[in-house]
Amino acid sequence: MSFKLNGEHVTVKCPPAYTLLEVLREELHVTGPKEDCAKGECGACTVIKDGAPVCSCLILVSQAEGSEIITSEGLIKDGKLNPVQEAFIEKGAVQCGHCIPGMIVSASALLMRNPNPSVNEIRTALSGNLCRCTGYSKIITAVQEAAKSWKQ
Amino acid sequence: MMRSEIDVITPQNLDEALAILHGTPNGLRIVAGGSDVIVQLRDGVIRPQKLLNILSLKELRFVRKRDGRIHIGALSTYHDITTSPLTRDYAWPLVDASSQIGAVQLQNTATLGGNLGNASPAGDTLPPLYALDAIVVARNKSEAREIPIEQFYVSYRKTALKPDELIAEVHFKELGNDDRGAYRKLGLREANAISIVDVATVLRGRDSEGAFREARVTLGAVAPTIRRSRACEQALSQKPITREILKSASRLATNDAVPIDDIRGSAKYRKEVVASLVYEALEEAVFG
Repeated sequence: MSFKLNGEHVTVKCPPAYTLLEVLREELHVTGPKEDCAKGECGACTVIKDGAPVCSCLILVSQAEGSEIITSEGLIKDGKLNPVQEAFIEKGAVQCGHCIPGMIVSASALLMRNPNPSVNEIRTALSGNLCRCTGYSKIITAVQEAAKSWKQ
Repeated sequence: MMRSEIDVITPQNLDEALAILHGTPNGLRIVAGGSDVIVQLRDGVIRPQKLLNILSLKELRFVRKRDGRIHIGALSTYHDITTSPLTRDYAWPLVDASSQIGAVQLQNTATLGGNLGNASPAGDTLPPLYALDAIVVARNKSEAREIPIEQFYVSYRKTALKPDELIAEVHFKELGNDDRGAYRKLGLREANAISIVDVATVLRGRDSEGAFREARVTLGAVAPTIRRSRACEQALSQKPITREILKSASRLATNDAVPIDDIRGSAKYRKEVVASLVYEALEEAVFG
């Protein structure tokens, strides 16, 4: 099984019916994406696959063959956090932190397609990501802040 | 069989997929977007020996218009349906349903064919497809079979699909200038909510007096399969069509709902919701 992960080609030997999330976490030790509901409802496992945010718990690793995957780790460039990651710290958008990698990936995927989103567009883009600390308002504020410094 | 022992076969094209289906249907399960099948695998609801991964079959991912009919390939995602100008212009109740399924992540992967094949009575694309009189095209190695959607669903979670067939596409007559339609869903929240009740209406052929030649009113999540309310449809043939007529017609639809109590709502509540949603959908379609 091989695909591009955070800019690097990876080849991994694993059972083909494992989910992409299981392989990322357990074989490749990329632990940004989390497994919570395992049903596609919470968004904690969100990764960007070929430019679109998807739940890595609902994709077989076989279905990721040849594709390009970005996790929250891959948003860091040359040791520098991306604007969304910076803004989450700046605005105090993190409580327990568990949902944050998924939130950041969903928000970054939004800004990649739409660098000037409305509040409603941000809410829609994050509607598949649950925060059980219910810290949504600071998360939305952080994404608005990130949009200001986002470069396409 | 443990999940680690399941083989995944990824055919390169449709012919190869159909040849595999022809030869080895025993213990074989088709997986497309995966949003239902992977959950069922992990819950042990299904225990296949092999998975046929058809996700990359580009031949089945399209939205086209031909001779006044909209054709949607089975591997079109909800995102594809929601963003296609063809579905937006000629099949908007299906767009409204697709845009309310799951959230962004699911819309990028889950497919129309998957929603059809999973055959849940709460599958949100089904009421609009029933209301559009959609034809499901099933293919095997040697032929394509056209099945009206009402005949495609045999009973609870059971389709007319044969073991060597896969769902290739659906098609239906476009909604034109004299046609109206709407979709309404009640879930517990806006995103990632399975329908408590959802309904679709399609009214075709508006004449100069504002009456329609034919009506379809379809109900989801209130019976083992999607239900048409023929009594409601017939009541809509009166003219001129008024809000009072819509109100009494929508009450008739409750008789066609035979819901169960479950975690999302009681049967009694669902029947009440049917009348409200049908009224809202008809009101939007006729006067909106």
